[in-house]
Amino acid sequence: MDLHFSAEDQQFREMARDWLRDNIPAGRRPHHGEEMRTFDTAWQKTQFDAGWAGISWPTEYGGLGLDLTRQLIWYEEYARAGAPDNHLCFVGLNHAGPTIVSHGDEHQKRKYLKPVLSGESIWCQGFSEPNSGSDLASLSTRAEIDGDELVITGSKIWTSHGHLSDMQELLVRTDPDAPKHKGISWVIFDMKVAGLELRPINIMTAPNLPHFVQCFYDEARIPLANVVGGLNNGWKIAMSTLGFERGTAQIKDQIRYAHLVEEMITRAKKRFGSENLHTDEIGSRLAQLRADMAAARAMTYMTVSRAKAGNPGAESSLMRAMVGQVQQKVRRLALDIIGPEALENPDEDDWVYFYLRTFSTTIAAGTSQIQRNIIGERVLGLPK
Amino acid sequence: MNLLPDSQQQQILDTLSGLLREKAPIDRFREHGEVGNEDDRLWPILGDLGFLGLGISDSFGGVGLSAAEEVLVYREFGNQLLSVGVFGLTLGARIAALGGDDTMCRQILSGSLIIGVASSLHTPVQMSETACAGAFHLFEASKADLILLMNEQGAALITADQFVERKSVKPMDAILTLERSQLPASRPALWIDASDDALHTRAILLASAYATGIAATTQSMAVEYAKIREQFGKPIGSFQAVKHLCAEMAIRSEAAQSQCLFSALVVAEDRDDKDFQAISSKITSVDAALQNAASNIQIHGAFGFTAEANAHHFLKRAHVMDQLWGDLRHQRARLLSLPTPAT
Repeated sequence: MDLHFSAEDQQFREMARDWLRDNIPAGRRPHHGEEMRTFDTAWQKTQFDAGWAGISWPTEYGGLGLDLTRQLIWYEEYARAGAPDNHLCFVGLNHAGPTIVSHGDEHQKRKYLKPVLSGESIWCQGFSEPNSGSDLASLSTRAEIDGDELVITGSKIWTSHGHLSDMQELLVRTDPDAPKHKGISWVIFDMKVAGLELRPINIMTAPNLPHFVQCFYDEARIPLANVVGGLNNGWKIAMSTLGFERGTAQIKDQIRYAHLVEEMITRAKKRFGSENLHTDEIGSRLAQLRADMAAARAMTYMTVSRAKAGNPGAESSLMRAMVGQVQQKVRRLALDIIGPEALENPDEDDWVYFYLRTFSTTIAAGTSQIQRNIIGERVLGLPK
Repeated sequence: MNLLPDSQQQQILDTLSGLLREKAPIDRFREHGEVGNEDDRLWPILGDLGFLGLGISDSFGGVGLSAAEEVLVYREFGNQLLSVGVFGLTLGARIAALGGDDTMCRQILSGSLIIGVASSLHTPVQMSETACAGAFHLFEASKADLILLMNEQGAALITADQFVERKSVKPMDAILTLERSQLPASRPALWIDASDDALHTRAILLASAYATGIAATTQSMAVEYAKIREQFGKPIGSFQAVKHLCAEMAIRSEAAQSQCLFSALVVAEDRDDKDFQAISSKITSVDAALQNAASNIQIHGAFGFTAEANAHHFLKRAHVMDQLWGDLRHQRARLLSLPTPAT
């Protein structure tokens, strides 16, 4: 056991810190629409051009080929610098990309990976369906093989930023007669293909602006060569990257939230007086969250330690569950510290906006209830 | 950076857990009388194998390792609910070594001195090199030669006969002996000022490590029971209501364990944020121990509520860990008063 980083790691950290300080974009990140796309893709391109994109991705596909410790350091410095999260690039960088790195063929890797890193290609997710949410494997969007093409018919829903995306990681049923987990394929879908229609869905933080879309596929055709990791092997492919990649990406959030708790303490002292705070219910909750955020960072280090020992394992789901629930507690407490002003102008006050936004953290990528099933069954070995 | 034990640390762990499973199985409490335990029979064995002096320099008869190894063994002590008298020995030996009392240090490490543990009651405590005073709970002090006493100002070993008005009280955790007593202003036999060594921080850290053992063991007891106990024709662990309770236990255990190991390394390096990290560790681990111990009773159903089941021992000991060197309320207030760590 040790907390030391090597001299090379330290040097990497200092370079990352210096570069981030000089290069993070000025101004508040827009939360919606084309403005957000312009902001996020430009910031991603800036990182790529300077050689900071894809820390752990292979060098032959535009990455830096570095280990998980460097990835951890980069995320730590990224959050410490207050760099904006480019959510629009999230699926490409943390899910579709790593899936193609692990399971794609050479042609797929050459074609799709670099544009993710450079910010040219925005990916969205096509997993959930109107009748297949937590029971994802029951999905029914069909893909029929017609020569060297797949013909897709059906519907996907809760696709974040689908209307701003270029590509989609899509789960389709390619063998309706097989058991439900065994007839699914993971495919690369081009959002410009004919036969796709989008219906916008607004979310609770912005009742007038689309966030999700529902996708309707009406005999949309893509090359059969867009199947990643083999026909009917999609469930395994999707599950293999779902947990771990999202877990490491959470490092940024966890550090950002630790900083937020410190800001909240300063603001609470101003509002309630520092001499009163330690006897106040708000003070007790702040202290608990300080301890929780310290533990969340230690869990991250534990997860990285396990992964470096070659055993990423299902335990990373423990960290995800912890961080998700603590984020909600932090945001709720932030609102209590603000007081009555919290009822005003939610779009302009980030503390209010993100309070509402954080309700997604225990729903997206598997609800916290499904995650507890996964922990019970895969970490603890409890029966189904 | 690596939070996993290295091969030497793993070897220490394997040796100790094997030894404790044999010499100190949880079922040992059933064979004992109404109050107390016979764990002091283990002290010479643990001392002989070096487990009491892991963090003590070898020139004083210790092993010369760090807080990291101490934390690993205290987690095992918590797994087996070893008598809290062991805190008196580990921390007492450190006081003796830092105070330059080689003879006393070696006596403690050989298990031939018994050291009780004082925990302050509600009244203010006086603590200095010249005089310590206050009202205390004394744990495991009935046969003790010395009493361990510490707070944020420093750490003291006080000869047991300086405590007056000693009165045995019926302990909630009946495996431990408990007394109430007064300490009139008394000069400690040995005193280590907090500015010379963060003994109080280390005590908090070791209590938190012990609590992670309680959290982990109650988690595995509950999970194992949920796999074999059947109702409605299925193991109860297949029902989400039970499964999710177990998952919550695992999340709390992982958080507590990770923070405890992290803070042990911070304490070992004597970093500026050692109090911040160790207090965070005590808060998360005591919370995990209390909640997991409660869930373990719940998952065992009516059997969990019996005296015969071991589940209640873990809950009661978790409350002792909460009280030692400041309870959750106290630790939260302290944590809030500390500056933001630099790293």
